[in-house]
Amino acid sequence: MAWRRFRRNKSGLIGGAIVIFFILVALAGPYLVAYPPRSYESLYEGDAGDPPSFKHPFGVEISGIDVFSETVDSTRNDLYVGLAATLITTLIGVAIGALAGYFKGAVSDILLGVTQMFFVIPVLLLILLFARVFSILVFKGLGLTLIVLILSFFGWSGIAFIVRGETLRLKEMEFVQAARSLGARPFRLLFRHIVPNILSPVIVIATLDIAGFILTEVVVSFLGFGDPNTSTWGLLLNEGFPYVRTTWWVALFPGLAVVFCVLGFNLMGDGLSDALNPRLRE
Amino acid sequence: MDGKLLQISNLRTYFFTEAGVVKALDGMSMEVNKGETVGLVGESGSGKSVTAQSVLRIVPRPGRIVGGSVKFEGQELLTKKEDEMRKLRGPKMAIVFQDPTTSLNPLYTVEKQLTDILMLHRGLSREDASKQALHLLDRVGIQDSERRLKAYPHELSGGMKQRIAVARALSCDPVLLFADEPTTNLDVTIQAQVLELLKQLQNDLNMTMVMITHDMGIIADMTERVTVLYAGKVMEVAATPTLFKSPKHPYTEALLKAVPTVKQTRALEVIPGNIPNLIEPPTGCVFHPRCKYAKDVCVKKEPELEKVAEGHYAACHFWRELELEGKGH
Amino acid sequence: MASLVRYVIRRVLFMIPVFLGVAILTFFVGNAAGNPIDLIRAGLRNPSPAVLKALQAYYHLDQPVWLRFLYWLWDLIHGNLGVSISGRPVLSQIGPWTFTTLELQVLSLVLAVAIGIPIGVFSAKHQYSKVDYTITTVAIFGYSMPTFWLGIMLIIVFSFYLGWFPSNGAVSVSYPWWGSWVLDPIAHLILPTAVLTYVSLATIVRLVRANMLEVLRQDYILAARASGLSERTVTYRYALRNAISPVVTIIGLGFGAALAGAPALETTFSWPGLGYAFTQAALALDIPLVQGITIVITIMVLVANLVTDLVYAVVDPRVTVQ
Repeated sequence: MAWRRFRRNKSGLIGGAIVIFFILVALAGPYLVAYPPRSYESLYEGDAGDPPSFKHPFGVEISGIDVFSETVDSTRNDLYVGLAATLITTLIGVAIGALAGYFKGAVSDILLGVTQMFFVIPVLLLILLFARVFSILVFKGLGLTLIVLILSFFGWSGIAFIVRGETLRLKEMEFVQAARSLGARPFRLLFRHIVPNILSPVIVIATLDIAGFILTEVVVSFLGFGDPNTSTWGLLLNEGFPYVRTTWWVALFPGLAVVFCVLGFNLMGDGLSDALNPRLRE
Repeated sequence: MDGKLLQISNLRTYFFTEAGVVKALDGMSMEVNKGETVGLVGESGSGKSVTAQSVLRIVPRPGRIVGGSVKFEGQELLTKKEDEMRKLRGPKMAIVFQDPTTSLNPLYTVEKQLTDILMLHRGLSREDASKQALHLLDRVGIQDSERRLKAYPHELSGGMKQRIAVARALSCDPVLLFADEPTTNLDVTIQAQVLELLKQLQNDLNMTMVMITHDMGIIADMTERVTVLYAGKVMEVAATPTLFKSPKHPYTEALLKAVPTVKQTRALEVIPGNIPNLIEPPTGCVFHPRCKYAKDVCVKKEPELEKVAEGHYAACHFWRELELEGKGH
Repeated sequence: MASLVRYVIRRVLFMIPVFLGVAILTFFVGNAAGNPIDLIRAGLRNPSPAVLKALQAYYHLDQPVWLRFLYWLWDLIHGNLGVSISGRPVLSQIGPWTFTTLELQVLSLVLAVAIGIPIGVFSAKHQYSKVDYTITTVAIFGYSMPTFWLGIMLIIVFSFYLGWFPSNGAVSVSYPWWGSWVLDPIAHLILPTAVLTYVSLATIVRLVRANMLEVLRQDYILAARASGLSERTVTYRYALRNAISPVVTIIGLGFGAALAGAPALETTFSWPGLGYAFTQAALALDIPLVQGITIVITIMVLVANLVTDLVYAVVDPRVTVQ
């Protein structure tokens, strides 16, 4: 029923279409590109620094990297970061939020406090710091997964808040009271009754979170704190920026990819929000 | 002016939504005489509230009045400019809304909400308006009015909030008051108090009141004449005693059957089905899908409001033939 | 009034553990990067043993980690933010950086709020109109793009191609833009402010619009109209006032986030603010500097949050009751 409402929402559908497009590009990536990831082949072909052409649809970097291939390859990696971080933060956020909302007393207060703390702090700075330090320290082989973990560590508080709010609200509702009066124990109550009802707002937030995490990853990689061996849109922007006066296409196309990918998730999230939110009918 | 305070003729108010055009009121007519208490009864979604909103011309988007006529004190309201309408809202006509928790602005004190209106319409200074507001609270029976005046709505009980809503509606001594389900959201004991209050105020102020409700009990208690509304159309109009004793429309009969009496021995009858989809209303008589007397002609032809007797009208093809059961009071 | 004061005190008390939390995270992670001696050694190339000894004592490197943390915290509270590995004390550099960052952030925020709220209100009141769709679309693009990328694009067009505005720094070095040293800083401000304002605008417009739509549906708005109040009163004093509280929060939080998000935008424009300094310091593993900047930004963010809470409580007194 909500699916019907979503179908009627034009912008949500456009968003969904965009997302599907990017997922397809990510999956089909290796078959779409002429050059392997991070390859400087074009240098040897004498094409380094070339503007967009038929052979190189998005142009070539000064270093000889083909922008089109890289942009397509990055799709896979950026989507990975977005989806993985969202998955982890959603799990953490729902768990903490539900616990904080359902139980009363010290446990709940502490959880709330911690959530508020993570919500308030200047997260980007700490992400950058963590990324910089940990990348030289221990987790060398992890690549983007390190970024995913760091983003997840700092990014769960939003969902936790919403889930806590919803849990508090649902807890007082009659169907929960009814289940309790029939002897249901707390965890059963939480998982069988409350959690299914918070799915709607969580799905919406998760979709929007994917967009947010991709944006954050782009910033992190652009500043040079990402993984230099994995193609990401942010990395491309990082490589292109110093030479943007001459090879401006290196900054343009990956950026556009980011914009549309994020736009897609945002539109889809908005569409889902409209569809899943019960509206007053006359 | 011939004693008729309000004359609604063939009013059509539609809501233009993404899902389609909702015909909330589709040719609704009603008359209210000066000093009367008239009831407007029907289920949720029948268009009762929209009627009041249409008269004051505050129908919210995406709704719009698309046709008909509303005459108040002899003047046509639908052609008036917005400025002129605003001068009428409050001093001439007012609405008491259903849920006082949502009809009072949560961010402003009671005083502010009342004085805003008084200062606007009466041109009073802030102090005078405050004094007047205090007086209003006393008049609606609020104890400790000075403290209540400075309070925020969330600090007050439901019954008190509704009294304040009544005070707000009456603040400029309107001639016509729409009471839109004023007691539906209140506890039963408070309900009686608020209804008493309305009755008393109406007497004191010689006010004309339209009581909008789905509760036949309130109709019996408070009104002199009733209009029965269903899916945006008028089903029956009659004096209250007449409506209860000898209803001429199947819908009215069904409504009466759903109200328990003290001597109730039979099971309450529920009206089967739901209110119709107002985007694509049923053909012919709009009640036919739920009417146990429906015949072929009811599906094909829409009945007109026919005169049964003086002051009694019914919109049914078979009002002459049907022997409907009323409630002998 | 009393509940307001109590509320503020509660919020301040909350900020303290948050500050400590950040301090702990910053210190211990920064410390994990390597002890300051190694870092300095890497930076200074063969400092003399005497210098090394002095540094050792200064950083209390002979003490266990948690004790070092307390020393650092103690210094912090007394305003001593330590010494960067370049040798210069952190505190002395923070001032100019902070001013430069705030210059950009505050200006953009003020513009974004001043322009964004009216647009949001207008958009909500004219829902489903063509203008509304246009505004919403432009807004959605705004918060779907990386801020710094828009900056790069504007630089390409307006700086490199058209040559209208400068593309780096807050002030020029040798020759002032537009021929005047007074106008010069303004010229430099234009592009980064435009970018930041647009992106902030996008979020504000979207929020105000969404909240206004929600509020305009409420009964008390209908009741206000039924009482004959003018459209302007209903829209601004009743609807907007009710819609604004979450917007105030988001503005406050957004300001905090913007402060923290300054690195990318400032890097793009070589804008010598806290974000730019942080990035350079982190890349160079100048841990004391990184820690100092983080603490300063954290304090600013917490203050911004406190102010937001206060404004929110004034606008919506219900929150003080909890």
